[in-house]
Parts: sequence; C-alpha cells; structure tokens
Amino acid sequence: MSGLGEKLRDSAVFNFSGAVTMVVDDSPFSRELTAEALRGFGVQIRYACSSAEEALDIIRDHPIDLLLVDCEMPGMDGCDMVRWVRTSGLEPNAYVPIIMTAGHVRRSKVGAVRDCGANYLITKPFSAASLLERLVWVARDNRPFLEAGDYKGPDRRRSKAKPLKDGERRSDMIARAKREAELGLSEDEAELEAVAAELEAQVAAMGRRY
Amino acid sequence: MVVIRQQRTSRLSSMINAPGGVSVGVAMAQAVANLEKLKPQGMAIITAQLAQLAALPDPQGPDERVKARAYGLSAGILDAAGPFQMDDLCAAASNLCDLLDASPEGQAFDWRIVSVHVQAMQLMQKLPAGEAGDSARGQVLSGLREVLKAKIQPAG
Repeated sequence: MSGLGEKLRDSAVFNFSGAVTMVVDDSPFSRELTAEALRGFGVQIRYACSSAEEALDIIRDHPIDLLLVDCEMPGMDGCDMVRWVRTSGLEPNAYVPIIMTAGHVRRSKVGAVRDCGANYLITKPFSAASLLERLVWVARDNRPFLEAGDYKGPDRRRSKAKPLKDGERRSDMIARAKREAELGLSEDEAELEAVAAELEAQVAAMGRRY
Repeated sequence: MVVIRQQRTSRLSSMINAPGGVSVGVAMAQAVANLEKLKPQGMAIITAQLAQLAALPDPQGPDERVKARAYGLSAGILDAAGPFQMDDLCAAASNLCDLLDASPEGQAFDWRIVSVHVQAMQLMQKLPAGEAGDSARGQVLSGLREVLKAKIQPAG
C-alpha cells in the first residue's frame, strides 16, 4: 500500500476489523484518544488497560494481534513491558506487532526505547493520519525477529551508509539511511556495527534538539 | 555473539488484505470525527494541567519530586493536545519537558522557566485562530526555544 512517509491513497482499502487489539496507557484520556482513532480505522479495542501489570495478566492467557503501549507509566513502564513480552516465550504474543506511543521521551530512556523490541515508536503530537500510516506499516513489517544478546525484537539492522557520490552530504546519508530503515531495507547481515535501530533514527532526531 | 533469526508472519499482516475493511479516506474521516468529539475534554484537561503547573510552588532549591511533577503535567499537556493540531502548544510543552529532563539531579531548577512556559501556553490558548494568531504563537514559541538553546548545550 505504501512505505512509511508516503501518503496513503484515499482509495486504498485495509481490514483490521478482526484484530485483537490492546491499548495500554495509564492516562484515561490518552487511552481514549488512541482507542477512538483506532475505532475510526475499524479496529475494535478488545483490551484497554491502565497499567502494564494489568495488561500482562491478559497477555499471559490471550493471543493479541496488535499492542499499543505508552512509554511512560508508573510501576512497570512501557519499555519494561515490551521487553517482558518479547522475552516471555509466549506464542504468539512474544512476536506481536507493538507500537509504542510517547508524549516525551526522557533522555535517560532513549536507549531503553530503542532496545526494548517494539516495532515502532510514535511520538506525540500524532495525527490520525500518522497513526494510520504507522499501523499499516507495522502490519506490513516483514523484518525477521532477532535474538542477539539482550535484544529480542524486529531486526533493526540496515545497510551501512555509503556515499552515493563524493559530494553527498552527511545529512543526505542520514536521511537516506533513515528512509531505508523505514522501508525495511535491512539486508547487510555481516555488518554488525551497522546496527542502527528504526527507533534510533527517531530518537536521534530528538537528540538533535539538545 | 549468537544471533538467532526467525522469520515470522503476524496475524495482523495476514488480515490487512482480507475481504471487507474500510478505505483510507473513510477511515480517516471516521477517526477525525471521533477525535473531534473529544476535543472539548482535551481542552479542559489542558487548562486544568496548566493551572496545576502554575500552582506548583517554586521549591527554592533542589527538589526532584516537584520537578517530576512539573514534567508529568507538561507531558500531560502534550498528550491531551496531541491530536488536535495544536502544534505550537505541543512544542511549548515539549520544550518545557526537555528543559526539566535536562536539569541535573540534585540541582535547583530555575523556576522562572516553568512560569514563563505556563504563561506562554496560556497565551497560546487565548490567541485567535488564523494568520495573526499563528504569527503571535510563532513568536512566543521562538522565545521559548531561545530559552532551551540558552540552557541546554547542543550535542557535539
């Protein structure tokens, strides 16, 4: 249908009506906002949870097709929850597509967000259009799952950036590499040092503000 | 390091093309309409969070608890304003979150920064829609960004 960053065609049709969806957010209003946007997309929310602990009780026993988790929550936060899900060994939930949402990511949490194993991070403010775009992208995300050291989640590797030509600027390379990562073009398996997360690209954008 | 790769197909990916469903145009219209119904509640939450932020006392010294509270309220504004095309207000709230987050632990935070952000966000709420309001909001935001630049050293 579309790669990330490409506008979805109005006439394109998708079907998420059968998806068992869970939204986890400690803020009732944020939970409602996410749920209402999803309902507009034809996604029915089966489970709306106010804490990671409540969500995990359900995840232990019920298969989930789509998980949206807020990053910042009291008690077990979103990153810890995602890491728990990924390493739980639960079938099929350990491999469920996960979108993390965040109002603001603390600098101390950037690494945890990048490494927890979520498929995608959406930072607020997000529009209905951007949420739908990412939802479609996550549904089409066919990256293999990796277990490497402490990491378990979608393959974050992408090809090592090489200048297209002598005059290519670093910013162009970064933009191209980010674009490739967004499109899931991650095939340079030998280059472990080229590991660069999808999420890292996003948090790097945040980092540039400092 | 041992790397295990596993190709998985999610149920979500197999259902996206299932018969039925909804077009992007219809889905977007429905989602926007659903969110619009929540806008008054969102505005009330923003106003309340701003009032709570304004009421936080200047701790007059290092106080991580008050800083965390201010951060939470500011992040709450960002959450509530997010879907309603209030980009300037969101940017101001995010600016304050950045500043609070970057404040070293155990050091006093210059509380005038919180006050000026609250006043700026309250002003942004009152400014009219349209070009004149947008221009004024842009100026206010630009000032707040100067505070961020002055307080936080750029990386590299």
